Amino acid sequence: MKASLRVRRYSPDKGSSWWGDYTLDNVNPNDSILDLLHRIKWEQDGSLTLRRSCAHGVCGSDAMRINGANALACKTLVARLKKNEKDTQVKIQVEPILGLPVIKDLVVDMEPFFEHYRSVLPYFINDQEIPADGRERLQTQEDRARFDDTTKCILCAACTTSCPSFWANGKYVGPAAIVQAHRFIFDSRDEGAEARLNIANENFGVWRCRTAFNCTNACPREIEVTKAIAEVKMALTTGVVA
Amino acid sequence: MATAKKVNIRISPKQRFETFAYMFMRMSGLVLLFLAVGHVLIQLILNDVHNLTLQFVADQWNSWGWRAYDILLLFFAVTHGYNGLRNILEDYIHNEWLMNVLYYVLSVFVIATVLWSAFAIATFPTA
Repeated sequence: MKASLRVRRYSPDKGSSWWGDYTLDNVNPNDSILDLLHRIKWEQDGSLTLRRSCAHGVCGSDAMRINGANALACKTLVARLKKNEKDTQVKIQVEPILGLPVIKDLVVDMEPFFEHYRSVLPYFINDQEIPADGRERLQTQEDRARFDDTTKCILCAACTTSCPSFWANGKYVGPAAIVQAHRFIFDSRDEGAEARLNIANENFGVWRCRTAFNCTNACPREIEVTKAIAEVKMALTTGVVA
Repeated sequence: MATAKKVNIRISPKQRFETFAYMFMRMSGLVLLFLAVGHVLIQLILNDVHNLTLQFVADQWNSWGWRAYDILLLFFAVTHGYNGLRNILEDYIHNEWLMNVLYYVLSVFVIATVLWSAFAIATFPTA
């Protein structure tokens, strides 16, 4: 089948942006959007710049805005973008994720995103002595299951950059940072819950979430992001982490 | 085999206005659902919209229960809407000085609207 791609380009040298139109033949419905972008770069225009690494939905490098919705280019198949099953042509629009400064073409500056990520203390905090056997701190299966969903985050920024509150004000820590906070707040082995909740309680913390649910739809790992944010809000409201 | 304690800890985060506003939006939304649906049901469905005259309102406000109902509806509708507008303004206005000015102007407007409207409902002559 044939694919018509419209890719948002940006040149830092020229300081201008434009739409690049490309047509690809012999496209397989099982090709990913990343495959098509590779073909453009390798066969038509070597200047097209994009970020990718594993190409299998694990590293989270290639989050993009594909046909108006955030997704990983490597996990989005052409078949999913066809309007009808029998279509022999598909139109695809690719843009960089919104809300972060564009460096070149589809590559954005992730530093503001990681700054928010670091602000929620996304690491294990426990100053107690290590167990007598010198091995790992154990927890029950129920305790582990409590935060299982938020351990799946790959920091691709698809959620944060799909959030209208983040678009409106980049100071908002954003869904991804709250997901990371949730992962440790509800971990029975961790002792930094109060410190993280106080950070989430700040002006640009969880209260900036307007429950638009864009983050939940955008997450390529299918994390229930809005639900995780709501659980942090409830912990702040009730004063109980349970 | 020692396992870490089950998560059920109590915390005492700093109480912020936003915490209260968050709960208020949910609670007032729930209350409004019943008050507003009841209002529409009474005014537009059980009674024909063409019969909604000043006399109809006067008859209804003969009862202090209905006056209280309408004052509650007024209070929750205005304050719920005010908080929503405040959220939107906070999202899009990044100038702190301008936001503070708008915040106070809006607050005065809301308090005045609730007070004068509640006064009008409470003192409406029904005779």
